[in-house]
Amino acid sequence: MKKRKQIEKKLSSSKKLVAKEVKEERLALLNMLEDIDEARKIVEEEKEKTEAIITNFTDGLLFFDKKGKLSLINLQASSFFKVKSEEVIGKSILELTKIPNLLPLVELLGKEIKGIFRKEIEIRENLVLEVNTIPTMKAEEKIGNLVILHDITRERIIERIKTEFVSLAAHQLRTPLSAIKWTMKMLLEGDLGPITDEQREFINKTYQSNERMIELINDLLDVARIEEGKYLYKPVFTNIEPIVKFVINSFKQEIEDRKIKLEFKKSFGVLPKAKVDIEKIRLVIQNLLENAVKYTKPGGDVTVSLKQIKDKIEFSIKDTGVGISQDQQKRIFTKFFRAANVVRMETDGSGLGLFIAKNIVEAHGGRIWFESEEEKGTTFYFNLPIKEEFGEFLKEF
Amino acid sequence: MKKILLIEDEKIMVDILQRKLTKEGYDISVANNGKEGLRVMKEINPDLILLDIIMPEMSGFEVMEEMRKDSKLNKIPLIVISNSGQPVEINRVKKLGAEDWLIKTEFDPQEVLEKVRKQIGN
Repeated sequence: MKKRKQIEKKLSSSKKLVAKEVKEERLALLNMLEDIDEARKIVEEEKEKTEAIITNFTDGLLFFDKKGKLSLINLQASSFFKVKSEEVIGKSILELTKIPNLLPLVELLGKEIKGIFRKEIEIRENLVLEVNTIPTMKAEEKIGNLVILHDITRERIIERIKTEFVSLAAHQLRTPLSAIKWTMKMLLEGDLGPITDEQREFINKTYQSNERMIELINDLLDVARIEEGKYLYKPVFTNIEPIVKFVINSFKQEIEDRKIKLEFKKSFGVLPKAKVDIEKIRLVIQNLLENAVKYTKPGGDVTVSLKQIKDKIEFSIKDTGVGISQDQQKRIFTKFFRAANVVRMETDGSGLGLFIAKNIVEAHGGRIWFESEEEKGTTFYFNLPIKEEFGEFLKEF
Repeated sequence: MKKILLIEDEKIMVDILQRKLTKEGYDISVANNGKEGLRVMKEINPDLILLDIIMPEMSGFEVMEEMRKDSKLNKIPLIVISNSGQPVEINRVKKLGAEDWLIKTEFDPQEVLEKVRKQIGN
């Protein structure tokens, strides 16, 4: 009897224990559920926030999944192209080519969605977009491509106004500069009566300064015209060698004066012709040669070479000059840029020569590049395609 | 004496050219804009015309267009002296029948004289 009671007591206490445990576990479970719910809410809120950001972002955003199908288009992108998201979501690039409004973008992206950095496309009269694509990775795996569209219409308008201003100002400046030039020349030639040697010396210097001003204005006009897309090209199918020789000849005096050893290396035989605008290519070579001569110390070497590499004619000019410092190399083709070391050497110079050269070469479907080491020298290269047609030439009007 | 009509609105350019060319023995008449130029050329029937492009009243282009319509005027040799050397402009004046052209910032009075001599002699 006593034993039974003992057992019952034990049983009841363990029952209580179990009940207590169950209760506790239930509580813990409830707590967990609550936590999960909380976390879910947070995630949802985050998702909504992200979606709101994407939707209302001022740049247009498109996301293509790894199969190349469009899985996201935000409001701004829809309004750029005047398409509804339901018309385009889930479609592949190929299917999207059938939507006329999207064609300019789709053509730029290509079938595989190329890596694109700051390419401009004109969607319509007053909408210019800058396109960038970013491959999106998760851990090591590519999960798709993000396309970012930035509206640069305003920048383009401002740029155009600036270009027009430069062009107008330069034209206006040419009139008084011509008058000064002609007057100085009359004085120098004795048309206005005899002058003393001292007067001649000063008038000569004034004449030279005026010539430099005219050159600068001409450079500015060239740049303005490149930017307006009005740079005329008169393409002819011709040999490059005579153009190179002509420019070298025109620098003969300067090369001698500066005691520079110039060598023209040409590969054997006749090089194939290329389709070029002679005047413009002459200007490119002239700008490169002028830099090489100007920034090489007396006694230095300048080597010009011309050869065929595959389907291109390659021109190079190597000097033993001051070189371009590593940190400034990136900016060398930028408009108005002049490297610090050359500014110290020669205060004159517009910083436009290489910008003009690059634009001319690229308009011919060629490429311009360089190698340089400070205090050792620089080699500039450009190539031109040999084929009879060329790339997109800038139009006259 | 060979007669040259100079159509130019910039006074200093007129002074310089007039002086240079008179000294060389040419007879120079001057018009300060295109309209006046057309009137004077009908009056004096010059041996050569030196024509500026950008001028008030009537531009050099318009003067050339008018001259082409006239069987007498379109026979007068013409040299364009312009401030701008845009290839489009050069093409246009060539099409309109200019014998020669020169850009003021690239030439000087001596070279103008040589071009004049080439056209009509001394």
